[in-house]
Amino acid sequence: MTRPIPTPVWRRLPALWWEVLTLSWRCTPGLTVLALLVLALSVVAVPAVALTLRATVDATAAGASGVALACAVGVAVAHALTSTFQTVTGEVITTVADRTGRMGVHPRVHRAIASVPGIAHLERGDVLDRVDIVRRGTGQIGRSVWNVLLSASHVLKLLVTVVLLGAVHPLLLSLIPLAAVPLWAHRRGQVLVRRAEVEGAENHRLQQDLFETVAGVTGGGEARVSGADTRLDRLRGEAWRATERVRFRARARAAVWTFAGWLVFVSAFAGGIAVVIVQAAQGTGTVGDLVLTVMLAVSLGQTVRGTVTATAETAGARRVVEPYLWLRGHVAGELAREGCTEEPPRSLTEGLALDRVSFTYPGTERPALDGISAHLPAGSVIAVVGEYGSGKTTLVKLLLGLYRPDAGTVRVEGRDLADMSTEGWRSRCSAAFQDFGRFEVTFGETVGLGDLDRIGDPDAVARAVREADAEEIAAGLPEGVHTQLGRRLGGVELSEGQWQRAALARASMRRDPLLFVLDEPTASLDAPSEEAIFRRYMERARAHARGTGTVTVVVSHRFSTVAGADLVLVMERGRLVETGTHAELVAVGGRYARLYGLQERAYTAGT
Amino acid sequence: MGPTHVSETPEAHAARNSPRSHAPGPTRTLRTLARILGRLRDAGPVPAVALVAVRLMERLVTPVTAVALATLVGALTGAGDGGTVITAALLPLAFLALVMLAGHLGDAAAEPLEYLVASRIDGAHRDRVAQMVRAPSEVGRLEAPETQALIRQVRADPEHGVETTPGDGTTAAVRVAAGLAGVAVTCAVLASFVWWLVPIVLVPALVTVVLRYRLAVTGAATWVSAIGGEQHVDVWRRANVSASEGKDIRVFGLRDWMVDRMQSRLREANAPLWRHWEHRLRVEWLMSILVLVGLIPAYLLVTQGALVGTATVATQTAVLAAGATLFQLLGNGWDLYQLAGAGRDLRATDRLAARIGRADPVPAQRAGAPGASIGEVRFEGVGFRYPGSERMVVEDVDLTVRPGELLAIVGLNGAGKSTLIKLLCGLHRPTHGRITVDGTDLSALDSGQWRARLSVIFQEFDRYPLSVRENVALGRGGSGTVDEDLEHVARTSGLADVVAGLPAGWDTPLSRGRSGGVDLSGGQWQQVALARALYGIRTGARFLVADEPTAHLDVRTEFRLFERLMDQRDGAGIVLISHRLSTVRRADRIVLLDGGRITEEGTHAELMALRGTYAELFEMQAARFRSGGASDEGGGDRA
Repeated sequence: MTRPIPTPVWRRLPALWWEVLTLSWRCTPGLTVLALLVLALSVVAVPAVALTLRATVDATAAGASGVALACAVGVAVAHALTSTFQTVTGEVITTVADRTGRMGVHPRVHRAIASVPGIAHLERGDVLDRVDIVRRGTGQIGRSVWNVLLSASHVLKLLVTVVLLGAVHPLLLSLIPLAAVPLWAHRRGQVLVRRAEVEGAENHRLQQDLFETVAGVTGGGEARVSGADTRLDRLRGEAWRATERVRFRARARAAVWTFAGWLVFVSAFAGGIAVVIVQAAQGTGTVGDLVLTVMLAVSLGQTVRGTVTATAETAGARRVVEPYLWLRGHVAGELAREGCTEEPPRSLTEGLALDRVSFTYPGTERPALDGISAHLPAGSVIAVVGEYGSGKTTLVKLLLGLYRPDAGTVRVEGRDLADMSTEGWRSRCSAAFQDFGRFEVTFGETVGLGDLDRIGDPDAVARAVREADAEEIAAGLPEGVHTQLGRRLGGVELSEGQWQRAALARASMRRDPLLFVLDEPTASLDAPSEEAIFRRYMERARAHARGTGTVTVVVSHRFSTVAGADLVLVMERGRLVETGTHAELVAVGGRYARLYGLQERAYTAGT
Repeated sequence: MGPTHVSETPEAHAARNSPRSHAPGPTRTLRTLARILGRLRDAGPVPAVALVAVRLMERLVTPVTAVALATLVGALTGAGDGGTVITAALLPLAFLALVMLAGHLGDAAAEPLEYLVASRIDGAHRDRVAQMVRAPSEVGRLEAPETQALIRQVRADPEHGVETTPGDGTTAAVRVAAGLAGVAVTCAVLASFVWWLVPIVLVPALVTVVLRYRLAVTGAATWVSAIGGEQHVDVWRRANVSASEGKDIRVFGLRDWMVDRMQSRLREANAPLWRHWEHRLRVEWLMSILVLVGLIPAYLLVTQGALVGTATVATQTAVLAAGATLFQLLGNGWDLYQLAGAGRDLRATDRLAARIGRADPVPAQRAGAPGASIGEVRFEGVGFRYPGSERMVVEDVDLTVRPGELLAIVGLNGAGKSTLIKLLCGLHRPTHGRITVDGTDLSALDSGQWRARLSVIFQEFDRYPLSVRENVALGRGGSGTVDEDLEHVARTSGLADVVAGLPAGWDTPLSRGRSGGVDLSGGQWQQVALARALYGIRTGARFLVADEPTAHLDVRTEFRLFERLMDQRDGAGIVLISHRLSTVRRADRIVLLDGGRITEEGTHAELMALRGTYAELFEMQAARFRSGGASDEGGGDRA
């Protein structure tokens, strides 16, 4: 009935459960012990009501008043404990699992995701799906071990119940296999329900996304103007109802299964009670036995439901636990491949070099970079130009160690970058990317992130803000650099251009990088800002060049911005097609000259 | 304990909430309960009635089982020899079996019915919230963080195990109400021994209900207060799985700092919730004492009665088995939690309604049929500042947009360009001056009619998780597409090549989360948005409003696109915002916006002759080409 599970995962599961239990203990020792204790005691408490009730009824029938009264108190205590254990078990497990999830599992998961040196796992859809499941499922991972323990305690409760029934009359032991009928039927129904959850998920997500579009932070401005909102809202409603249909149908079917299971069991059980009645009538049993049998039957329903729920959740957690185990394996594998601790040089004299470097994105056919060789001399400003998809950004990502070349080597002062500690190398790099990060912290922090050692140094932050020409932005914010960003967080929303300048400022935090990357750094900026920033970063590059031999790499598809570079690399479809200074390339009259001419004409024609 | 103040944010509301101050008065509680149960209307008559019937049956089974058991015991202890006892027991045995079956039937049937009822109620609730949010034609009030927080609270889309929805609240209310019927039966059982057994058990049981309800209410409020902190953690949660932020995290070595930041925020946000749960656990133990307080005297009395002969063993059995059910039937913590949550959502929905208001009054003036040409659009002394802000984003703007012309708006970042076009689209209303269309004030026009003549592409355009066809056709409400029109705009925008490469062509969903769906790149999305705007023009809009429509495209694509657009705009007017002055120079008229004011206006040639800021900006971009030269030329001061 259960689908085959890959053995390695099976074998690693108990270890993971143990680990989560240890985490629980570390996060909240008192509650962890309480949870374990309550789980154990709830097993004992299950038959307590039935047993004390029998004793009371029998003692009363026998006229033993002292025993009867004591047992009556026992019934009250058993009731109180049973209901309290039931509530407390649920609540204490929720609390412990929540705290373990948030304080124990959450940091591990996020540290693991961020520990992968490259970023391919965030760019590939199928891999990102798994990562996303893990990061949303930290609570479920925190709960995993508790579901297992809960399942175990329910199974024990079932066993205790059945053994007690057998003690009343051996014939009642035949109810053991019969108890499996509702268990099986209920589980079967739950499988249907879970399948419907998956089946309805796409429409459910669709209606969520459409609701966000209509009611989200941007206020649905475009949809309002184009009149799209009416149709979007209709599609949203349809998607909701489609999900509802699928999921209701599955639940209705599951209900039929469940009831059918109980129909079988209760019929058999009525026969069992008849046996007890005959026994009581013949004097070999007591009325108390009858009471016990019925009370156990009543509690059996709850126990079966609990067992199915807990085992279903345990099985359901595989959806999160398996990607989590995969992620940890992936991180371990990546870090093992790493394994190099060579520190980067203090400064560059020779520079960087690409030696027949090729790279193909996993899952694609065409190489993004195809046999690139180039020398990037120390202290130089290199411009990389080319159209969309020519491999410019891929090239700088390789230089920063965000990807590893499939073939060829990236050299730093003649040493293979692969032999160098990635963290060490990156601590000497700085970059502003085209798709820069928008960190919704305070403005000062979003800049200061560029050099964590000095994130709290107002002078350092102010200097970086100045270099990115972003002083006016900071001055215009209600609380200056201390202003929280992000409207969702009660802060201020920055415009595209303002974010871009914040990203530039962030890139300016590190004082003496060996590699400085500007990837389309001014796409959202107006002409004077672009101009001012370029001038400043050229000066900065020259200053860095004198000190540490910094190599500055500027990626752009705007040719006007790169004409001042020492060396221009022209990329086309993953290949390096031309190399030289601006003047040389224009003189050659090749691809660079043609593209440059196109842009130039847009400004000069007719004036 | 007055009504909640309308302007209060949920966070402030929760923060203000001391554990006691929120415990509602009995009338208000009853009124809220009635409103929650009233939502059953949304479920439709059949599911609603079926759910109530099934729940009633299931809840009655609990005490009735005790009665059936007692009947059986009565038959057994009713003297007589073996044979007659067995015959006498047959009927009670069948009754017991039926009751047990009824219990299981109720249990099994309640699940799908509860799902259906809750889903329909939540669906109707979301329809209403969406309706409410769509009603205002302006977006100012919607964008406010308080409004966004309220929408998040009432959207009935749980992200979290402890979030509840109106549907959950109503089904919980049905459980509680049906439970009360069960309580009545139990009380009858207790009274069958002696009437004053009822208050002995019922009073402690009611005390536990009050305690649980209070816990549920404070729990819900504490949870809301944790959301604020969780949102700060969400920033990093999303960043860590985003390829954009992921690069920064790696290059700048943010990992450990980020994790520490997340954890300290998490601890801070959730500590009150955890403390609340610990408190709740302690109260649970206290409540077990209350159970004892109620049950011990009752059980002792009835046992004593059975011993001395004032009660039968059957009555004793009934009381012993039924007594404790009172504590279950009066509602458990979770039902009450959901009830409290639903009450909170109802009030939040009221606050949301009060905040964004009802639909704008329908203006008397019609703006003419879509497709009718627009005459002049005039900005007359228009000024605007965002609510709660001092700064004027746009000030004293006098501008006429003539029919069929290409008007370009240029200016530095933050000069107010985007705000100007939002005013034009009626998404914000000017705080000073007015905008007129053919002499009629825009705010007096029906916004739908006016917008039917506009086609827009905003800087941050929408990306609908729908098919390419829908994505383009939504430029005009989305229905009744003509393939010829689609193909045409696809060719003009350059989208045709993208569509040709998609697995299911026009029907490919543009979201990886959908089956057969794909993700597009930024540039490809821009072409979708362009095609959408062009589709609007193609199907009747007379006015294209475009805010940086080509920022994600490379120069060559942009160039070709503009050529085609100029050819095929069909007499429609265009308002274009762009940083690339090489594109802008071809406009019929160019307006320079500086610090929210119009400082220069004219054709490219006129503005170049003026030698003002525009000329300076243009020179700056052109100089590097003209000189073939370096970036240290053609600087000039900031405008």
